[in-house]
Amino acid sequence: MIYLASAYAFAVLLLGGYLAWSLRRLREVERKSER
Amino acid sequence: MNKYEKAAAPAVALMLLAAGAIFLFAPTDSLQGPVQRIFYLHVSSAIAAYGCFAVVLLGGVIYLRNESLAADRLARAGALVGVVFTTVTLVMGMLWAKPIWGTFWTWDARLTSTLVLWIIYAGYLLVRRLAEPGRQGARFAAVVGIFGFIDVPVVHFSVTWWRTQHPGPVIINDALPPEMLATFLFTMACTLVLAAVMIAIRYRIETLADGSVPAVAEQASVVTTREPEPVQ
Repeated sequence: MIYLASAYAFAVLLLGGYLAWSLRRLREVERKSER
Repeated sequence: MNKYEKAAAPAVALMLLAAGAIFLFAPTDSLQGPVQRIFYLHVSSAIAAYGCFAVVLLGGVIYLRNESLAADRLARAGALVGVVFTTVTLVMGMLWAKPIWGTFWTWDARLTSTLVLWIIYAGYLLVRRLAEPGRQGARFAAVVGIFGFIDVPVVHFSVTWWRTQHPGPVIINDALPPEMLATFLFTMACTLVLAAVMIAIRYRIETLADGSVPAVAEQASVVTTREPEPVQ
């Protein structure tokens, strides 16, 4: 059970973290390009 | 909320539905127990990574044909998202291997070729980061992206070409009960949607970032807007 939980925790952290980071980065780049 | 955030919200909702199917709908495997549920996202991530690297291949071929900056950006976006999904595949596979095989890692053909795939595209991203912006770096990266794709069929067919500890194909061999197959196909569709949304967001970032890099912006103006010089 610990391996199942660890595997999905890792996937959620990496995929969710990457998605959140890229949306934040997009906002930053859009703000810069508007200036 | 911009249109990319609006696209990300349903992609996340689909992944939550897939999680519901994996943990609530799919039956528990009689041999491996609950840990077999790793299969659904492990294999879906691998297929999403194949798709991303196909985007790199396509972008690289188009860039080498007509130096399209859009194709180059698409290739860059595909490589980054592909490396993310390959990382998920590798780590989930290791966490599945430990309770089933008794070890996190073994140098069998499927695992080794997948690690090589990760290294090729991590190298591709490193080349993009270290090379000066402009044609030379983009051309070199396109060649790496095209030749790197050779490893995708090697990864996919490694379980049939060589004797491996990794199990062979279960989908095309009808080895899954209908509920497991339905859960897998749904998870795969949701993962592909997520990968497409991630590539679209990264493509937009690359487009805006290219506009702020003088060498790339200049190249774009050379390709798209500069008038031909009069012949003396």
